[in-house]
Amino acid sequence: MELLKRYLQAVEEHLPVRGREDTLAELRANLESEMECREEELGRSLTETEQAAVLERHGMPVLVASRYGSQHFLIGPTLFPMYWYTLKRSFPLMVLAYAAVQMAGILLGSGSGADLGHRIGESVGRFPAVALTFWGIVTLGFAVFEYGQGRFFPKLTLPKWSVRDLPPLDHDQNKRHSFASGAADLMVSALIVVWLLAVPSHPYLILGPGVKILHGMPFELTPEWHVVYWQIIGLLVAMLPLKAAMLLPSLRRARGWLQLAVKALGIMILVIMVQVRMFFVANSAISAGSLRSLDGINSGITLAFKIALAISVVIFAWELWKEIAAGQHRRTDYVAVL
Amino acid sequence: MEPTTKDGAVKDSASSAELFDSLRLELRRGCLVLAVLAQLRKEHYGYTLRKSLAEAGLEIEESTLYPLLRRLEQQGLLTSEWREEEKRNKRFYRLSAAGQQIFGLLLAEWNRINDSLDRIVQKEG
Repeated sequence: MELLKRYLQAVEEHLPVRGREDTLAELRANLESEMECREEELGRSLTETEQAAVLERHGMPVLVASRYGSQHFLIGPTLFPMYWYTLKRSFPLMVLAYAAVQMAGILLGSGSGADLGHRIGESVGRFPAVALTFWGIVTLGFAVFEYGQGRFFPKLTLPKWSVRDLPPLDHDQNKRHSFASGAADLMVSALIVVWLLAVPSHPYLILGPGVKILHGMPFELTPEWHVVYWQIIGLLVAMLPLKAAMLLPSLRRARGWLQLAVKALGIMILVIMVQVRMFFVANSAISAGSLRSLDGINSGITLAFKIALAISVVIFAWELWKEIAAGQHRRTDYVAVL
Repeated sequence: MEPTTKDGAVKDSASSAELFDSLRLELRRGCLVLAVLAQLRKEHYGYTLRKSLAEAGLEIEESTLYPLLRRLEQQGLLTSEWREEEKRNKRFYRLSAAGQQIFGLLLAEWNRINDSLDRIVQKEG
């Protein structure tokens, strides 16, 4: 019976502390009964090989012990869909936050443009550890919640929902909003703001090596830019919460209006640009011919912004009309259903 | 005819057997509880319970049955008692009052499902 003792010792190592002795005593009694029964059938004592066969059929000690545990999962089947949903929804936002923080650190921090690639590489290299930590924290949070519910606080009950609260049918399948594209749009918009903020102190970000040529040029940006610059930054920043709101499933109904609001802010940027009459001024005495050329450049840029503004306003008006019409259509559908 | 996937590819017999095993396990899981409750209307200890179930045609691994007994006892469906039998201490289980009530409900549910399945299979046949 030495094999049986060794087997029970191995099982004991993995058993939960509570009730361990009791479980082992029961296991011993059952296994001994089985061996005795087998001996009665054979009319002799079991050989060591036969004893081993009985124990091996009973199962590997760690697996046998694990079945006496009260909980075999970190996150149960009720909570798992919510855990998975949270991970899927929050991961792009975490990537966005990480990218924005890292870009701000790189662009606003000290250092030359030469090691920019190196610093970007470092940030990318750190990302897997950050992502893993994020996953670990979310998983741990849900595991603690799973463990605690029913023990320290009431069990989670699913909220009441109504089929009428579901978003309306998306008639245009091609324009179906994708969460990934929305998150990417938000990420790029945040990066553009960071980039624009960094441009005054790091002009190479807009012109690259051409920034050296700019120093020798006889013209420069007008003082108007100091005002316009912050107005544009303000409008771009105002777009970010609207784009973030578009990602929320609870605001899916309002997504069309949020998109229109973002476009309206874009039009306001064009309005500001159209009001700027002079983009560049001469910074030293230049010939009459060069002045005429500079004037032509300023007029050309203003005209381009005017055309862009006119097109944007027409598109905006068309989309606004469509949104109003779609809203009326939805209301009619709802009344018809009622 | 071989089972096929959605895109028409024929599944190999190994994965088909694996699928069957997994579905069979799922099907058996609920039935085992019912069988154990039924058998414990009469007192048994672990080993004799397993033997009696096997004799009735329902083989259960020891490593599945013994923890199941503990769980059913924790849920209040079984009562247990340590007693000496044939010079050895053994833990005897039997159905509790709550267990008898739940067993009656589960049995009625099982019969309903069985009848429905019979009707469905006969109708399709």
